[in-house]
This record gives sequence, structure tokens and C-alpha cells, in this order.
Amino acid sequence: MIFGGLLRLAFDALRANKLRSGLTLLGVMIGVTSVMTIVSALQGMMAAIEADLSTLGPSSFVVARMAVVTSDEMFREKVKRRPLKDDLLPLIQRGCPLCEQIATRALTQARVSYRDQALRNVIVLGSTSNLVRIIDLEVAQGRFHTPEDDFYKRNVAYIGETLREKFFEGLDPIGREIKIGSDKFTVIGVAKKKGSTFGNNQDNIVIIPYSVFDRQFATNRWGTSFMVRAASVEQLRDAQDQVRSVLRAQRHVPYNKEDDFDIITADQILDMLNRLTAVFRLALIGISSIALVVGGIVVMNIMMVSVTERTREIGIRKAVGARRNHILFQFLFESLMLTLSGGILGIIVGFFAAKGLVGLMEMSMKPSIPAIIAGLLVSSGTGVIFGIYPAMKAARLDPIKALSYE
Amino acid sequence: MALIETKNLWKTYQMGSEQVNALQGVDLEIERGEFVAIVGPSGSGKSTLMNLIGCLDTPTGGEYYLNSKRVSQMNDDELAAIRNREIGFVFQTFNLLPRATSLHNVELPLIYNGTPASERQAKAKIALAKVDLTDRMMHKPNELSGGQRQRVAMARALVNNPSLLLADEPTGNLDSKTSEEILKMIENLHREGNTIIIVTHDRNIASRAHRIVSIFDGRIASDERTERAAVRV
Repeated sequence: MIFGGLLRLAFDALRANKLRSGLTLLGVMIGVTSVMTIVSALQGMMAAIEADLSTLGPSSFVVARMAVVTSDEMFREKVKRRPLKDDLLPLIQRGCPLCEQIATRALTQARVSYRDQALRNVIVLGSTSNLVRIIDLEVAQGRFHTPEDDFYKRNVAYIGETLREKFFEGLDPIGREIKIGSDKFTVIGVAKKKGSTFGNNQDNIVIIPYSVFDRQFATNRWGTSFMVRAASVEQLRDAQDQVRSVLRAQRHVPYNKEDDFDIITADQILDMLNRLTAVFRLALIGISSIALVVGGIVVMNIMMVSVTERTREIGIRKAVGARRNHILFQFLFESLMLTLSGGILGIIVGFFAAKGLVGLMEMSMKPSIPAIIAGLLVSSGTGVIFGIYPAMKAARLDPIKALSYE
Repeated sequence: MALIETKNLWKTYQMGSEQVNALQGVDLEIERGEFVAIVGPSGSGKSTLMNLIGCLDTPTGGEYYLNSKRVSQMNDDELAAIRNREIGFVFQTFNLLPRATSLHNVELPLIYNGTPASERQAKAKIALAKVDLTDRMMHKPNELSGGQRQRVAMARALVNNPSLLLADEPTGNLDSKTSEEILKMIENLHREGNTIIIVTHDRNIASRAHRIVSIFDGRIASDERTERAAVRV
């Protein structure tokens, strides 16, 4: 087969110039590495955020005074809104028959201590016990609080991994007594490690019954929020609308004014995040592609040198019967081999670089098949685009002139 | 029909604003099995004629038939195929691939007509045996003497069983002893029935041929049989 023979010729030519081939390959590798690192890191980041948000099921949504803030102006606007109060719960329950579960939640930060050890700024989340029916709370040990705990206002705490690690390394945390602020709580459960999103440690948390929260931390100016699960995914929109009309009526929002509260699903948060970061992501990929273009130019330059240097060889090959395409493919295969092997190395190095980068943000990532395929296509594309001109130049050489070239 | 037949062959080059007529109406016929020398001083047009006969170039006017095929109108790729099948070249400067072994150099023409690898090697080995280089198969050109290099080049020229062996000053870079060796080999090839054309400016070398065509100012100045031809007939 002629192509097999031409591949072999290309390979031999590259092997004969090891240093030059190696350096060229390095140029492509750096280019592909930079693109792969950025693309994989971005993908890993988005996947991690998506995984976080997916704990909120597809038929669930959040009702809050401000669920999403994307700019200073938006914050200034939304911060004027009146807080939601937990006395909305019976109204929503009555006005939204499609709402199957409604959890009331409130947040604050407090100092948490165990004996002589303490953690500051721990997020204290007060929630009704039905939160477990809305969010996929992954319990590592023990249990979440029950409706009875809530009803009898028991001081029980469900703690995150950071607290367990700090206070109970090597101990069984269940049944031990910690202090939130100055109040004593009994640990009843531990959550699985979640890691961080955007530098927010999601394990530095303690969840207590809503009734207890309401008694102990009554002065929370952020108010409460609600987490709602609709009866089904199909009825999600209708459920949202029912909640919306209840809130607008109760808060006397004029018909021509926008909601003074946010209703949002995990999908909507993800969409918004995707839209907000799209330009930023494109810019990052664009900047990293510069290295790839430089790599391509290196390939082109080397191939031009190689064609000039091997003018006589080309003449000999043509004299003994090589057609234009034979010469064209021989040189094209050379640049393809260079960029493809550079691309494969770049994908491997890029993956580990991205893993490191995403690891710095305390997220994890897996190799992505589309990114690998894209990397291979981009690197071989670089080989063809930057290799075609030198190869055509070689193919078009006049055999007589090439043979007499010194 | 003769193996080579040219009719009123013209080749004109554009040198700046001037037109140079390298060939001005050459009519030449060479039969299968002939041993012809083309001679002439430098600038006479003999190299141009050789390039045309060797299908490395196309004429600006006239006709050229090789093996009954009209090659004067062919494009680059068709000419490449003709060179591959019909012509074996031997050059003054050997023109071997410097980084390839003798075996690979000889295989080269077979790569471009798609001969499978195993058959390629077998044929190349036979060709190298013909020029007594079986023991130098894995050597690269810089590990060989001038005479050995030219023998590799001859093996390469013959590997595809061409209709015509075209040698351009084949002994130009060799000492007299090695030259003699190469000429003997060419004579042997002729005796085996190969058609041979030698291009040279050396009358002594030309006299080994059976027919001498001299070119002067782009025209055939004389075309005569040598006494060797008489001996043979």
C-alpha cells in the first residue's frame, strides 16, 4: 500500500532529525496543553457546580428574598426587599396544592465549640425536618433530625465534615455535646464530605431544627427562605406560579411591578451561571489558543526549512516516479505526526494540569472524552493547516531544478 | 515503431527578456536494444535533450513518442508514472538518498508504484546482486566508495525493468579505474538487451557506444555508427 510506505518515509524523516522533531513537537505540546488545561479545568468546574446543584432535585425550587445576585446594582436593589417570614408557610401550603414538601430554612453564622476547641464562622442552618425529602442529604453517620425533634425543640445538631474532623478525629461524634454560641447541642448525625465551590467550604456547617433556630437566633435579619418540591417535574412551573401569587398577594406587590422575591430552580441557577461565564470562558479558551497557533507556526516554519533542505531528495523521488500527491502526503504526514504526537502528550499533560488547577479550588474532575477528541482534532487540524503549504511547495517542485539544487 | 521517436522537438527558455532556444527541431529515432551516446559541448542542448527524453521536462514544440506513447503532451503526474515504469536514471552525482541504506535506495521506485513491501525487498535484493553489492545492502551512501554508489544507482535504475537506461555523465565523478568498471557494467547491460543512452562530453566514453549523436547549438550535428556496432552486426 502506498500510504503505508509514505507514512513510513515520514516517520523515518522525523526520526533522522530527533532534536528538531522533538522541539517542534514540544511547541505543539505546549499549545495543546494550554488549551486542554483551560478547557478541562472549566469543564471540571462546571461539572462540580452542577453536581452541587443537582442535590436539589429536578422538581424542586427555592423561594428566597435574594437567591441569586450577579452584580452590585442587583444587590443594592434586592437588599431593599423585605425579608420573608416563616408565617408565610401556612399561606403557601394553602395557596399551593401542587407543593408537596415545603421546608422552612434560615441561616446565620456562629462560633461552635467542643470542650476546649472551637471553630468560628460556622454556618448554622435551621431547617424543618422535611428538608431530607427535598435535598439529597448524604448522611455519613447517624441521622438527620425528625419532626419530633423539631416539634419538641430539641437541641440536636447534624454536623458537616469540617466540624467532625476538628472536634472528633478518632472519636465517635454521635451523642457528644457541642456548643453553638453558648447553647449546648447533642450531635445526632454527620454529613458526607462535600468539598468547596468557589472557595466556599460546604462542610463547615451545622444543621439544627428550625424551631430551635427560631428560638435561639431569632434576630436573623436575612429572614427565612423556603425550599419546595413540586408534586412532579411537569407541575414545577405551575407550583412556582402558585407560590408566586401567594407571595405577591401577601406582600402587596402591584400588578405592574416585578416580584420582590426570587423563585429559582437548580437548572435556572446553572443556566445563569453558564450565561454569565460564557464570555469569560470563551476569552480564556481564545487566549490559550494563542499558544496553539504559535505551535502551528513552529511546525510550518520547520516544515519549510525541511522542504528547502530536502529539495534534492524531492528531486530524486520525483525522478524515480513520485507523483505530486506522493510528495504532498509524505510531508503532510510528517507535520501530522508531529502535531498529533504533540497533541497526545498535550492532552495528557493538560489533563493533569487541569486536575491540579481544579484541585486548588478543592473540586475534583474526571477526564472528559469530548475534550480529548477535541484535543486530537485540534492538533491534527493544526498539522494539516500549517503543514499543507510547505507540503504543496514540495509537491510542486520542478524535478530538474530540484535535482540540480545545491 | 522505434522505442524513442522525436519529431521536430523544440525547447525554448525565457531568460529575463531574452528567449533562448535550447533545442531547435530535433528529429531522433532510437530502436529498442540500441546503445547510444549523446555528445556535445556544454550549452549545446544535450542536457535539455536528455531531460526531455527522460520525461523530466516537456517540449515547447514538436512531438515525442516513448514506447509508442505520446509523452510530449503529458502532465506532471503522467510523466512521473512514465519515469517510474519506463526509465532508469543514472546521474553524475549518483543522487542517492543520503540517510537511506542501499537497499532502501534501490526500493525507492517500487514504493511509488505500490509494490508490496516483501516483493519490493526481494526485487531490490536481486538488483543489488546484479551489481555485486549484496554485501553492502545495509550500508548508507557515505559508507560506500564512489564506484559502489554508482552501482547502487544502477541497481535502482534497473529494479523496475525499465525500457530505457538513461545515464548522464555516469563516470564524471569517478577515477579512471572505477569509470572502466562502470562502463563494463553498462556494456554488459546492453549485451543483456537493455536500451542505453549515455549523455557525455567525453569522446572516449562515447566511443564505447554503438551510435554517437552529437548535438551542437540545439541541433543534431551528426549521427553515426561506431565500429563497435559493426562488430556486433
